[in-house]
Amino acid sequence: MTQTTKGQNSECCGGKRILLYACSGGSNVGEIADRAARELTKQGQGVMFCLAGIGAGIDGMVQTAKDADMNVLIDGCPMDCAKKVFDRAGIGKYIQIKVTDLGIEKAKGVRPTDEQVAVVVVKVKKKLQES
Amino acid sequence: MKIQILGTGCPKCSKLTENAEAAAKALGTEYTIEKVTDINEIMSFGVMMTPALAVNGKVKAVGKVPGVEEIKKLLGGQ
Repeated sequence: MTQTTKGQNSECCGGKRILLYACSGGSNVGEIADRAARELTKQGQGVMFCLAGIGAGIDGMVQTAKDADMNVLIDGCPMDCAKKVFDRAGIGKYIQIKVTDLGIEKAKGVRPTDEQVAVVVVKVKKKLQES
Repeated sequence: MKIQILGTGCPKCSKLTENAEAAAKALGTEYTIEKVTDINEIMSFGVMMTPALAVNGKVKAVGKVPGVEEIKKLLGGQ
């Protein structure tokens, strides 16, 4: 057996294992999903992670999602893209929030408001408390 | 077999190294253990929670310290 060490010491092993994924689609609700995930990360509710990496099948990212305590999927609309990405990857440990279920209409070329982002943030926090 | 422990050096990383070594020894297989502590290199595996375990370059466990028996299964799957 040989043992080697590469790199340097720094902070390690944070306790939080809630991962946040947004569909980040091109419409207003996709942007709201994205901004909500970033805001929740800022508030310490979890850590935003890359949905594209799961879709691409990057094994470290897929394993990260499988080993998380919970994955929170924020989909913008009933296309359920984030949920479908997880289902295809065979990752069942998730809760899903859909922006259009919260009284926000999907539209192109419409700028989201801070209030709409806040609605999603509150909903995710509530879901996390219930889970 | 190449075993890599991804983590920046906390007690959990040490425990994972210890368990991985015990598992590899129990399997009686030839192995090397490398500790990867550089955060950029860790992230290049797609890992954002540490410690993590990679075997022959494939990530097998993330953000937790599996026991020896569980690691034996992960190593045996190679």
